[in-house]
Amino acid sequence: MSINEIDPTKWVDKYSDYLFNYTIARVNDRELANDLISETFLAGLKSMKNFKGEASERTWLISILKRKIIDQYRKINSNKGRAEVKIKYKEDSNEGDWLEEQAPDRFDKTAEDMMENEELGLAILNCMEILPEKQAKIFKMKTIDGVDTETICNEFHITPSNLWVIIHRARMTLAQCLEKNWF
Amino acid sequence: MNMKRSLLPDCAEAGYCCDKKQYNEASFLEKIKILFHLALCKPCRKYASNSTKLTKLIEKSNLKSCPEEEKKIWKETIEKEISR
Repeated sequence: MSINEIDPTKWVDKYSDYLFNYTIARVNDRELANDLISETFLAGLKSMKNFKGEASERTWLISILKRKIIDQYRKINSNKGRAEVKIKYKEDSNEGDWLEEQAPDRFDKTAEDMMENEELGLAILNCMEILPEKQAKIFKMKTIDGVDTETICNEFHITPSNLWVIIHRARMTLAQCLEKNWF
Repeated sequence: MNMKRSLLPDCAEAGYCCDKKQYNEASFLEKIKILFHLALCKPCRKYASNSTKLTKLIEKSNLKSCPEEEKKIWKETIEKEISR
């Protein structure tokens, strides 16, 4: 097995979107996610010499991030609880008296779905990593951020037909990759 | 001949038109071209269906991209830490 090299200067470009989506699915707060990721990068820099190269850089960063997220949960939990009021049903038969409880759960969005969607998102980002850097960047701008064609063309100094060629290549690669790993 | 060419695009052109359609940017003529081409070309039909699937998956995954300003700040911080 080849030993993985570590190169912190490329972390942000290569992994920030992956880490961001991973975090946002768990903490559901952009600000907090940003803080956690920047802490992760710093912690990563500090313990760089412990990186043995057995796992990929991304896996290693995710494992740091996981600890950060767990610490965050702990912090929240130690803050609340003291002032928490728990309402309990006296009798089981009363359960479901509240109007909200009588409504059925939203059937179109279950926890399982959300978990699957998160995995799907990470799978897509995973596939995007095989794209050349410029292709990935343009594809992300166009598809995820929904930037219009003209703006992208101006920014990268390309013609619209260049743009569609790039998008086409990216979509072909992604569709193939996802076909293998997801469909 | 010219008419035929303009209505029967080759696979590459049909592919670009398909992509444009995914972003709702295909013109009416391009949509017609796709229809003609897909009727005759099986590989492109497969690509079109995969491409539609890809769009749906990306929509469903609710991917968010990380704000560029944050990325810049992180990069600076990392560079600072390294040079120390």
